[in-house]
Amino acid sequence: MKIVIDRSRCVGHARCAAIAPELYILDDDGYIANDGFDVPEGQEALASRAARACPERVISVVE
Amino acid sequence: MASSAELVCPNPPHVPASRVYDFDFHNDPLYAEKGDMHDAFQHLLNNAPGMFWTPRNGGHWIILEHDLVSQAMRTPEIFSSANQAIPAMPAELVMPPITMDPPQHAKFRVPLNKAFSPKSMQEIAGSVRELAAELIDKIAADGQCDFVGAISEPLPVLIFMKLMGMPAERLADFREWVHQTLSNTPEREIAYGKVAQLMAELIEARVKEPRNDLISRLIELEIDGKKLSRELLLGYCQLLFIAGLDTVVNGMSFAIRHLARNPELQEFLRANPSRIPDAVEEMLRRYPIAMPSRRVVKDCEWNGIDLRTGDLVLMAMPAAHLDPKVFSDPQRYDLDRENFAHITFGTGVHRCAGSHLARIELQILYEEWLKRIPSFRMAPDRKERYHAANVLSIDYLPLVWNA
Repeated sequence: MKIVIDRSRCVGHARCAAIAPELYILDDDGYIANDGFDVPEGQEALASRAARACPERVISVVE
Repeated sequence: MASSAELVCPNPPHVPASRVYDFDFHNDPLYAEKGDMHDAFQHLLNNAPGMFWTPRNGGHWIILEHDLVSQAMRTPEIFSSANQAIPAMPAELVMPPITMDPPQHAKFRVPLNKAFSPKSMQEIAGSVRELAAELIDKIAADGQCDFVGAISEPLPVLIFMKLMGMPAERLADFREWVHQTLSNTPEREIAYGKVAQLMAELIEARVKEPRNDLISRLIELEIDGKKLSRELLLGYCQLLFIAGLDTVVNGMSFAIRHLARNPELQEFLRANPSRIPDAVEEMLRRYPIAMPSRRVVKDCEWNGIDLRTGDLVLMAMPAAHLDPKVFSDPQRYDLDRENFAHITFGTGVHRCAGSHLARIELQILYEEWLKRIPSFRMAPDRKERYHAANVLSIDYLPLVWNA
């Protein structure tokens, strides 16, 4: 599973990091620090839940 | 004093009669009739067009539907944040970054992002918890309190005033001013003047003698290699005053009111404190309190609606979060709801800069209050009081418990 983030549309709600702080890394301003990542095995449910928490809907789950 | 009735305007020619619905968001009788401001917005959702024109407060649009609110807030090319007060102000107020649009907005927003980042806010969590405990311990043995006066007013306001570097002993004055700045009466301009004068004095004092507070940091701030003009600095401070002194107060009051009416939820959270962050989120979804506004800057057709330059638009956040197209069974407070992503803090580049501070304060309040106060309920013999504006407010919230 892969997470793809449309980083330019992140406005810093930081909900992804509130749910999965080790997967979704923020910069010093509290905005997402990357464009996505490969989800480590066993953390798929957590990564998906954090993606669904994004009010801007800029995080996609790619199976 | 101009009553809101005097602000009723004839409908402009570009607004069809089918889109007109009479609602005064400052004083509508529907609020009292329903006895609950959020129920009034539910009533609008059920009875008014999803986006309608009201002749009140100078005449303006109100957007109820979630999808349209989201779209509008993410489209600053049409819905500008400049000069967006409803009713319109006699003179435009520039308060960076809230009254700015992209790309200028970002320059003034970035410094606030750092100051209010999740990490910076974690650093003050200890002092929030300390003050929460102190305020709650003061009243725990009384078996009753007005939650607003005892807790939801002093807790977030004193924390914010300390961050800013404002004198704590003037809390009562400042709360009166902030209510006036949000009103639709002529007191609004007078109150903005008082805030400006206070901030000008504080800025002068910090220029001479900087401290470890936000005002001192804003004085040092450079944008495009230059320090801010006194005027912009003042605007910045005015915004922080208004944004910091009213919103969390009401976020706390509406949350505790809901808990007071639902003893089984109190019980559940006392037994399962790890669910408090989810409880805070669902409370924010169920009871949004802030309603931002925008000004149309382009004649256009938008979602089948004719818009004209200068039209003012209110985002009815409480209605958007009761929209059944987005939240199933929206009136129900549901900790396990499928869609838990709310836009109570706004959406798009103007997302509330204080949202991380608000969340930490709310979580700490739930934790400390539930730990220290046994099963509590609304006082049976006293009635709570409310008032509406761009922020829906509880002015008096009498609670009782068995001490």
